This record gives sequence, C-alpha cells and structure tokens, in this order.
Amino acid sequence: MTTLQDHPVSGGQTLPQLPSARRDSVWRRFRRASPFALIYSGAILIFYTIIFIIPFGTGIWLAFQNWDFITNPKFVGLRNFTKAFTDQYFWQALEKTLLFSVVEISLGLTIALLFALALSQILGKWQNIYLSLYYLPVITPLVVSLYLWRWLYRPTGGAFNTLLSSVGLPEQPFLASPQQALWAITVVIIWAHLGTGIVLFLAGINDVPESLFEAARLDGAGFWQSFFRITLPLIRPVLVYQMVVSVIGTVQMFEAFFLIPGPGFSTRTLALYTYELGFRALNLGYGAAVSLIIFMMLLGATVFQLRRWRIEWEH
Amino acid sequence: MAGTADSRTLHTPISPFRRWLISGRWTKAVVFLILAFFSFAMFYPFIWLLFSSFKTGADIVRLPVSLLPQKWTLSAYLMVMDPTRANLPIAYVNSIIVTSGTVISVLITSSMGGFIFARLEFPGRDYLFYFVLSTTMVPFLTLLIPLYIVMRELNLLNSLWGVWVPSIFSSFGVFLCRQFVYGIPRELYDAAKIDGSGDFGIYRNIILPLTKPILSALAIFVFLGAFNAYLWPLVILNEEKKLTLPLIIARMANRFGGTDYQAVMAGSVLVSIPPLIVFLIFQKNFVRGIALTGLKG
Repeated sequence: MTTLQDHPVSGGQTLPQLPSARRDSVWRRFRRASPFALIYSGAILIFYTIIFIIPFGTGIWLAFQNWDFITNPKFVGLRNFTKAFTDQYFWQALEKTLLFSVVEISLGLTIALLFALALSQILGKWQNIYLSLYYLPVITPLVVSLYLWRWLYRPTGGAFNTLLSSVGLPEQPFLASPQQALWAITVVIIWAHLGTGIVLFLAGINDVPESLFEAARLDGAGFWQSFFRITLPLIRPVLVYQMVVSVIGTVQMFEAFFLIPGPGFSTRTLALYTYELGFRALNLGYGAAVSLIIFMMLLGATVFQLRRWRIEWEH
Repeated sequence: MAGTADSRTLHTPISPFRRWLISGRWTKAVVFLILAFFSFAMFYPFIWLLFSSFKTGADIVRLPVSLLPQKWTLSAYLMVMDPTRANLPIAYVNSIIVTSGTVISVLITSSMGGFIFARLEFPGRDYLFYFVLSTTMVPFLTLLIPLYIVMRELNLLNSLWGVWVPSIFSSFGVFLCRQFVYGIPRELYDAAKIDGSGDFGIYRNIILPLTKPILSALAIFVFLGAFNAYLWPLVILNEEKKLTLPLIIARMANRFGGTDYQAVMAGSVLVSIPPLIVFLIFQKNFVRGIALTGLKG
C-alpha cells in the first residue's frame, strides 16, 4: 500500500478537466466512457463478486454456524471463536506456525542477505551463473522438492545420515522425530525460497550508487562498516517488502506440512489445521472461524510492519 | 604499477603470490570459492534426484546407499511414461491445459486492466481499482473453504475449469501493468485518440506491444504459480484422470511408499523439466522481472 502513495503518478490523477466536464452528471460520464472500459469493469466486478465477495461473505457467515456439509447449518453465535481459545489443538497449531514463521524468515533472510552481499563482490557473468544455481530450487515444483528431501532425510539409508556417519557424527531421525521434524521442514523451505531473497537483495545492493562506497572508503570505512551504515539502510525497503511477503507466505505454507509431516501433531500448523477441519473433520464452521483468525493475524502483522517501517522512514 | 614501485623502494623482490596477497584480490577469490561450495551444497539434492531416477527398484533401496546407480537403466522413465501403467502422461496434458489457460487469461486481463485503470475514464474507476487491489489483503487460506462451497454450487468440482476459474484475473497483474502503463507517455494515447482510434484499438496496437517487458516477467511468475500449484487443485480435483502433475507426484510417492521410489524420482525429473525450460529461455527477463515486480510492486 505504501508503495502506491510513493509512486508519483499512481494516485489515479488525470489531466485537469474542463469546467464543463467537471459538472457532468454521473450518468453523462457513464455514457461518454468507452464501451471497452465498461465491459472490462463489468467483467472484473462479476469475477471478484464470485471469487472474492461471495466466498468472503460466506466465510464470515460460516464462522458463526455449525455445519458438516450434510445437515442444515445451525447458528451458534460466537461459539466457534470462543472454542478456538480453549482448543489446545488450536494453540498447538498456532505455536508451530509462529515457530516455523519466525525461524524461517529470520534465518532465510539473513542467509539470503549474506549470499547477496557475497555475490555483489563478484563479476557480472559469474554473478548470473551463481544466481541461476541458487534460483533452481525456487522454480522446481515444491512437491518435487518435498519428496526429494524426505528421501534424503530417511533415517536409515538416507543421503544425509550417510553423510553424517561418514564424518563420524551420530545419525539423526530428522522427520521421524517430533522434536526435529519442524526444523527439518524449515530447512527445506529455506532452501526452496532462498533464491528469491538473494535476487531481490542483490538487485537492491546493485542499486546502491558506487559513489557512496567510494566516499566511505576514502573516509576509512571498512567493508562491514559500509555495509551497516550504507547498504543496510538503503535496502531497507527491500527488507520490509520481503518480511511482509514472507510472513504471509510462511503462515499460509501448506504443502510441506501436508505432504511430509512429522509424527503426530508435531508439524500441524494453522494452515494444515484449517484444511483438516474443513475437508477431513468436516467441521466447516469452526474451520472458517480459524481461517478468519489467521486473516486477522496476518492483517495485524502486515499493518504493524508497514507502520513501523514508515515511522523509521520519517526519522 | 603499485607493486613495481614498492619493490623498487624496498629493494626486495616480491613474488607474484605475495603481490597478489597484498593487492586484496584474494578476498574475491575466497568469496568466489565459498559461493562455489554453497552452490554445490544447494545443488546436492538435485544430484541425488537425477542419479536415483536411473536406478532399478532393488538398487534404490540397497544399503549402504550409493549416489551412483549400480547399473544405469531407463526402466523408471519408461514406466512413468507408459499411459497404461502410470497416470503421469495424462496429468501432463491436464497441467499444460490449466497452466496455459491461466497464463493467457492473466496476461490479457492484466494488460487490459493496466491500460484501463491508468488511462481511461469512467465513474468509480479508482474505487474499483482499489477494491481489486484490496482483495490481496485476504489470504487464500481464508477463502479456501467458502470458495470450495461456491465452486460446488457452480458445479465446477472435479473439473479443470474449477482449477482455472479463480485465476482468470490477477489483482497483482493488474496492479503491475497499471504501474507500467503510467510509465508510457500519455501523449501516445492522446495522439492515437486524435487520429480517431478507438480505445480497444489503442490497447491492441499501442499499449499491448509496449507492455511486453512487464508481461513477459508476469508470464513467468504466473506460469510457475499455476504449474506448481498444489492446494487448490487438491481441493477441486479427485478423479485420478483429472489430476495435475504435482498431485500425481504426491499420489505416486504415497502409493509406492519406500519401494519403487525410482519411479517417483523419474516422475519428479519429468515434472521439473517444463519450469526449467521456461527458466532457461526467459532467464534474462527472470532476474529483471523479479527486481521489477519485487521492488516496484
């Protein structure tokens, strides 16, 4: 949203209208508008009515009902929401979601930033070759990556355990252990998404004017000093953008927890819990309520991040 | 230059290695080597994928494991490509239909929307645009259950139409194209208008060719998103003959369990090829596209 206002011409301003045009009635303006624009607007409005307004409305309505797809929906007031707060499975899923999200984002973005920083020291041609290699996991279908990693994680005969025992370290259960499964999955997702972060950070770093580094070097600043004083503040917008997008992405991550889950509930996040409530337990009302809670959490997190960024920006 | 001056003043010969060390260029070499190591580490899982797909069923579960196949064989590939033994070929067709449908529709609707919301005038235009934009604030997960119910009412369950319909328009694509059209001089539009062109003609003949850079970037992301999509097709499709590629891979992996995993590996390789081709062809647009969409978006 902020970028919208930052853009000099994006407010939808038009050329100054003639005085007579400004006094036109809405009806006149409709008739003068081109059919092309009106047909398109009609189509997009119908589309978002079907795909967004009706489902969103249904979702809110559903959150106050009890429904199992078969019997008639029954109004239960706020019970689905109060249920969430006393439901230990909900809290467990929330905990897993937050753990995964926080670790994935902080580790993933730090590693991506380090890689981008290292890549920025390298010639253009090699930069592109490395970039393509790091980007491969991003373009590989996530389903493929997940089963591949599950295969490598196998407790007996897996590639990682073979590697560990060949250097004399004890073998690990990885996905088979309730303690390690969440982190094993986190590693896969960091690996799978690292390329995007690197490309974005590198684009940001390459945009920093060389003259700033030159000036800092003349003033005797070292590499890390110029990183913290020049690069980091200037790529802050990229960082904030990535954080916002990553929060939304990690909280909604579904495939990993659905396809290569750890034992029991050790990797059941809110996304998976919503799916199971809606399509396995057929508790549609409660599922809708949980998904609305996710929506409000994400909205809050996004607004918080953007506001904090804007406050820092103004100082 | 600096090196020779030093050696003359110090009267001590400096070996090329010492000179290289002093010049600081070695830090670059170290960085280069570290990056090379990590790119190998990141590529490591794919090496296993590739080699395992050429193994036999007995070879892949053999202990201790070895990276290279004992005997190279194409049997896994032949098996998953045989329509009578696996549903991968039909899933390929399904995936191509859905993905191309999505890419084409999103490119058309986004470029039109970008032009219309940026340049044409009609009452409520900006309200409509901000509404379209605001739909991105609601995560897909929140819409999942009710959207499924809507699709059920529309009788679109278990059909590729149901997979495609929610992605005809892309609010992100419309937003991106609108930003891009603002960068096209307004005079072009005005001049064409004075020459008597209709709005659709201007879109077709002027705007569409000029928005090509952003459209090619958008196409890549839409392609990857549609081709790799899992959750929505999972909810919509359940008949084996209608599944898309990610769904088939998941079914194969779960059905075969630990044995016959070489078939899953071979299938995985085949599924990864289309995104790889798209990536290699559009590599240049790719990096630029990510920068464009990520930073300006």
